[in-house]
Formats: sequence, structure tokens, C-alpha cells
Amino acid sequence: MAALLTANTSDYSHLMVTETRNVAADEAAWIRQAQRSDAQAFEALYRLHVDKVYGLCLRMTGNVSEAEDCAQEAFIQAWNKLDKFRGDSAFATWLHRIAVNAVLGRIRKSKREQDRIEAVALEAPVRISTGDTGELRDLSEAIDRLPEGARHVFLLHAVYGYSHEEAGSMLGIAAGTSKAQLHRARRLLAQQLKEQGFEA
Amino acid sequence: MTERDDDKLSRAARQLATAISPERDLWPGIAEAITAPKRPRWTPMFAQAAAVLLLVGASSAVTYFAVKDTTPVLVPVAQDLIFEQASFGSRYNLGPGFQEARNALVAEFEFELQRLPPETRTEIKTNLELVQKAIFDINQALEQEPGNTLLQERLLRTYRNELELLRRVGGLTRDVMRRNDI
Repeated sequence: MAALLTANTSDYSHLMVTETRNVAADEAAWIRQAQRSDAQAFEALYRLHVDKVYGLCLRMTGNVSEAEDCAQEAFIQAWNKLDKFRGDSAFATWLHRIAVNAVLGRIRKSKREQDRIEAVALEAPVRISTGDTGELRDLSEAIDRLPEGARHVFLLHAVYGYSHEEAGSMLGIAAGTSKAQLHRARRLLAQQLKEQGFEA
Repeated sequence: MTERDDDKLSRAARQLATAISPERDLWPGIAEAITAPKRPRWTPMFAQAAAVLLLVGASSAVTYFAVKDTTPVLVPVAQDLIFEQASFGSRYNLGPGFQEARNALVAEFEFELQRLPPETRTEIKTNLELVQKAIFDINQALEQEPGNTLLQERLLRTYRNELELLRRVGGLTRDVMRRNDI
């Protein structure tokens, strides 16, 4: 029985690895085709990455409409800059960088971010559906109440797993500043969550 | 905040959903944007240039008709420029105050000019003659079109250039002397 389980697990892992390799191969092919102005291949790339790009935009803006606009803008910019993608980083990372730029550009232009924070401060929270439940939803809402700089760093580093160098580069700040903002974010989150009786 | 809190927070953060499906399909908007024919780069610039020309033209026309004076305005043109008579339309009047200021500056200018080296003096005189020639030319043009506000503004600006030149030369050697005094 144990041998069977081991064999099954092994087979399953093999299938997973194969599937991952296939996706990576497909992605590379779609990128090459899209670089030759193949919109269908680009749509395949969109379908593959849209959830993560939209998720990042949604968590950064805290607003469904803004997130939709930013995600669309990110993909349009990606299409326009596709010839500059050389594969130095993963396509997802390259796309996330563009999405972060789209969000930051939008914040700079509209100043709605400030309005949003003020709205939150006035206890008019913007409820966004992120799929998180229970304590994770509390954490998600607490992140949403963080000041802009701290929130962006926390999201990129702690949630999306980027290093301080990568997060800093995406946000146009130094790695040291990213670390300081993360520390600030953690302190503020701990305060908020303690008040809410957050328990791991 | 303790290390344990950090770890707890970090673990929880890693469990948050990173992939969230948008409530609507965003592709149609993207497809529309990326498949739309690209407008040539020169179009916006051309449109901007046309808009500027149109604005300037319309503005000049409106101003022309607004300030148009049916009575002929005499604009004396002379080499020695009688400023108090160089008035046109109802917007600009170069009165005695301007002439007095200019006379004072000219006197100072002539005095200071003599104290400058010959080559500097020649250069300044050439520049002043250029400005005064421009004033003469604009005055002549205004004889033909006394209501032309662009010419009127140009004339005022040139008068100011002349005054500025006179003022700067007038104070030139004074500044040098002040520095020597120190």
C-alpha cells in the first residue's frame, strides 16, 4: 500500500512538473508570437496572467473600477512594449512591474488615492472582494487601511514575495526605504489586528 | 511587536490570495485598444499647430474688430521718436512720464557711454541703433495699420527693450566703481 502511494505520488508529481513545463513552453511561444503582433497569442498571455495582474492592481488601489482600468492599461502597455521584453526576468515579473507603474501613474494623476484613504479614515470602508475569508479578510482590510507607501511595499514583499530590491525597483524607491516601509506596515498592521483580536 | 507576531503576520500575508479574477472580462477593452489602427505621430502635433494658428487668428480678428477705430490715427514717425505722440487706438498711450524716464536714461547713458572702452561703446551703439531701427519700422507699419494690436504690442515691447538697454548701460560703470570701492 505504501509502495502504491509512493508510486502514485511520484506519478502525480511527474504530471505536475510536465504541466508546468508545458505552460512555460506555451508562454514562451505565445510571447514570441505576440511579439510578431499576434493578438490571439497575446490574448492567451492575458488569460494566463490576468488574475494575478488584476489581484495586484486591486490590492494596490483598493477599488474595483480603478483596478480594472489599471489592469487593462497594464496589458495595453505590455502589448506596446512587448518588443522590449528580452526574457531577462520572468514574464509575470515584467508584467507586474508594468502594472505597478500603471497604478502609480494613475495615483499621481488622479489623486484619488488620497480621497480613498480619507474615505477609509472617515470609516467608510471600501469593501472589495478578494476571496479571503475569516482572519485573512481582516488582514486584507487592515492592509487596505495602511498608508500608501507602506501598503505597496507590504503587498509586493510580504504578499507577492518580491525581494526588497525588486519591490523598491518597481516602486521607484531604494531597497532600504522598502525595508523601512515594511517595518512601518508591520507595526501598523500589528496595532490594527491586535485591536481586532487577530489570532494565528 | 515581537518576532512571533512578525512570523504570524508573514505567514498570514503569504496565504492571502494573489490571483483574483476580475468581475468582468477585461479583454474586449484591451483587444479594442491594441487592434485599433495607430494614428500617425504627426497628427496630434499638426492638430495642435492648427489649433494654435486658429486661436491666434480668431483672437486677432476679434481684437481687431473690438478695438477698430473709425477715425484715422496719426502716428508720427521720426528718428528722434516723440513718444508722447506715439499713441494709437485706446489701449496704449506713451505719455510724458515715459518720455521723461527715457530722457533721464538717455542722459545717463550718454555720460556712461563715454567712460567705456571704444570697442564696447561701438557694440552698444550698434545694438541701440538696431532697437531704434525696429521702433522706426514698427511705427511705419502702424501708419498703414493703426489698429493692429500685434504691432502695437510689438512696439511697446521694443520700447521696453530700448529702456532696458539704456538702463543697463547707465548703471554699468557705476557697478564697476562700486566693486572697485570694495
